Amino acid sequence: MVVYSFYIFDRHAECIYKRRWLPRPSSIVGSKSSRPTSEASAPATGPPAVLGQSARTTDDDAKLIFGTVFSLRNMARKLGGEDDNFVTYRTNQYRLHYYETPTNTKFVMLTDIKSPSMRVALQQIYINLYVEYVVKNPLSPTEHPGGVGVNNELFEESLEQFVTRVLS
Amino acid sequence: MSSATKASRIGEELWKTRVDKVNAELVTLTYGTIVAQLCQDYDGNYQDVNKQLEKMGYNIGMRLIEDFLAKSNVGRCANFRETADMIAKVGFRIFLNIAPTVTNWTSDNNQFSLVFDENPLADFVELPDDGRAQDELWFSNILCGVLRGALEMVQMQIEAHFVSDVLRGDDTTEMRVSLVRYIEDEMPPDEE
Repeated sequence: MVVYSFYIFDRHAECIYKRRWLPRPSSIVGSKSSRPTSEASAPATGPPAVLGQSARTTDDDAKLIFGTVFSLRNMARKLGGEDDNFVTYRTNQYRLHYYETPTNTKFVMLTDIKSPSMRVALQQIYINLYVEYVVKNPLSPTEHPGGVGVNNELFEESLEQFVTRVLS
Repeated sequence: MSSATKASRIGEELWKTRVDKVNAELVTLTYGTIVAQLCQDYDGNYQDVNKQLEKMGYNIGMRLIEDFLAKSNVGRCANFRETADMIAKVGFRIFLNIAPTVTNWTSDNNQFSLVFDENPLADFVELPDDGRAQDELWFSNILCGVLRGALEMVQMQIEAHFVSDVLRGDDTTEMRVSLVRYIEDEMPPDEE
């Protein structure tokens, strides 16, 4: 199974961490102007970050993903009650996994479509990596205004290890 | 009170299995040193010391709640009464090994008191005899901040303050906690 990318959003809807494992094809990044704009802006509900059909930046990807999971989660709650939560969705190209803590921190992972549920993995990342290395580091900020984000070597190294060793 | 007994059981279980213990004197002395230093820094202005302790607690609470959730794996509380039990029977239990009594609810279920039979922060403590500390200093005020920070992270804005303290010669140590409002989800800022 392949992990494409991973994002953390805090309770202020700020993307505080993002990591991609597959580089965006360089040919696409360069050829922005040749595309009709209508086509590039049509799939507003978050096409796969890995495919990069338009010249989106990683920041744009993060915003699209936040918008998608935020809306999906709210709809899931409207339909299924306050405690309901969506867990994953799948397109032709990728599968998105979602885990949200009671503190409204959102963990999102994009993988290939064959991957099993990553809910437990995301929960483990929260409990064993995020809480241990980021939250408990007394010198790291609790809030990240302006998107400073998680800047923590221990966390990043362990995440790297977790993804390469445990998940593949 | 099933929610209270359920919370007690969770707290008990976590305390036994998931919590690293530290020496109680270390905690008491560390905290005592902080308060003493603040009293010195603020030149005996106890209102400022209270305020500062609350602020420090707030910052602790915002982190502590994540550890609490990671350890306990409990979900969101259905109502404020359940929250109160969770604080008293699970939160205080796993971090300080005490379980204050939840009592004195207002009829709208938005305010309650925590009554502390024991308080590890205040062991060995005697307030200074300067004629003011007894009336002005809330020695354990950091706890009010911890609750405010922790609950803010789970979308509850609360206000907490001590109303009595055995250190001041009162019969009980009591903290009053009031729910101000539930915090709405934040939306990302609009662009362009």
